[in-house]
Amino acid sequence: MKFFKRTDLIIIVGILAVSAVSWVVYQSVFAEDQSKAEIYYYSELVETVDLNSGEERTFSIPQEENVIFQLYRDGSIAFVESDCPDKVCIHAGKLKTVGQFAACLPNGVMVKIVPQKERDEEDADLVIGN
Amino acid sequence: MIKKLIAVFIIITLIFSLAACGKQEKKRYEAEFLLLFDTVTQIVGYTETKEEFAAQVDLIYESLKEYHQLYDIYNNYDGINNIKTINDQAGIAPVKVDQKIIDLLLFSREAFELTDGKVNAAFGAVLKIWHDYRDAGTENPENAALPEMTLLQEASGHTDFEQVIIDEENATVYLPDPEMSLDVGAIAKGYATEQVGRLAEENGMTSGLLSVGGNVRAIGVKGDSNGTPWKVGIQNPVDQNGKDLNKIRLMNASLVTSGIYERFYIVNGKSYHHIIDPITLFPAEYFLSVTVLCPDSGLADALSTSIFNMPYEQGLALIESLPETEALWVFHDGQRKSSSKFKDSIAE
Repeated sequence: MKFFKRTDLIIIVGILAVSAVSWVVYQSVFAEDQSKAEIYYYSELVETVDLNSGEERTFSIPQEENVIFQLYRDGSIAFVESDCPDKVCIHAGKLKTVGQFAACLPNGVMVKIVPQKERDEEDADLVIGN
Repeated sequence: MIKKLIAVFIIITLIFSLAACGKQEKKRYEAEFLLLFDTVTQIVGYTETKEEFAAQVDLIYESLKEYHQLYDIYNNYDGINNIKTINDQAGIAPVKVDQKIIDLLLFSREAFELTDGKVNAAFGAVLKIWHDYRDAGTENPENAALPEMTLLQEASGHTDFEQVIIDEENATVYLPDPEMSLDVGAIAKGYATEQVGRLAEENGMTSGLLSVGGNVRAIGVKGDSNGTPWKVGIQNPVDQNGKDLNKIRLMNASLVTSGIYERFYIVNGKSYHHIIDPITLFPAEYFLSVTVLCPDSGLADALSTSIFNMPYEQGLALIESLPETEALWVFHDGQRKSSSKFKDSIAE
């Protein structure tokens, strides 16, 4: 007596194939927790920064060169210099979690962290207290 | 066998496409503006069309702008009597004002009485001194200084809210003491957020999240296929680097955090924040942050300031005495305590 029939094998291979395909689809659709930073000058989106590049750099936007950002290797971004009087933007510290934001009101510059692709169940709709 | 395999495929594709359909009913939109209440206003909403969301944002902006101008203590606006006008006329004459100012001040009086004076809209004389020292010290850190205690004590003699004359019949407000001034910073944003949230609801907004500088008001639940509660993250004041958030589930309710970390200045290596204890006349030192959760955003704002200015036990007793009101306290060593049912709203 054979342990496997030929048709059993087909079914097993078929199920494995379906699982593999579903897993790949699931990973690409749902398991993305990569994020990006959107930089706004007043209400206009002027720059989008990939936070998962592992890159480290200091930069500003052409619309307001007195405001300087730092992108860190760990995927966070912060205001590091500004000519504003209250420095509330710098005090907000490093941002990396979806929903976080910080703004330099006197200069009209805002940074907001958004998902790279699909919004995840886990993501906060917004974050306060920063 | 082949038929069975096809059945498996069909079931799987069906599940995927059902999920895709469900998501397309209402779309998520977000908007921000930077020009009102000296803070960031954020609006998240689920609507069927972008135009519908844009109309809601317009309504919220216009209404919030009106509150902003009326409750402003620093600027004058053509043809408007605002809180600054009342302050400028202190000791001179009653000022005829919009009903929205009367309502705010009546609410402030309730909050003053409820919190035993820990949130006081007539505390302007003291707050102005701290504001000026903080601005000067931030601009010029080498010369940053603390206000003299005698100066603060002199000013605190002009902060008795009971003396504010609110004439509801004639819609006027008068400060008989010329040294007195109103500062509604601890209450006006939350109060305005509540009123604007209600207006948006009356005008058909069914799924929205409004935050005016961290005064969050939720309308309904998320408008996605699952109808899940809104999720608002509270920054951990110990670790400002984006990790370890408390995420709070919010349905038809408000959430406000008061903390020490954003508006502060440094004198001789020590940080002095902007929430001033009416007893010590210095920044309150009990906590790093407090968060209040309750239905009304105006009350949440007033309570968060007042329990920030109280020892934990006193604040807890106040919170537990109020219906549908919960709070979270974060101490200087990172320890957290919360009221009895706060945990029920924590998402993770």
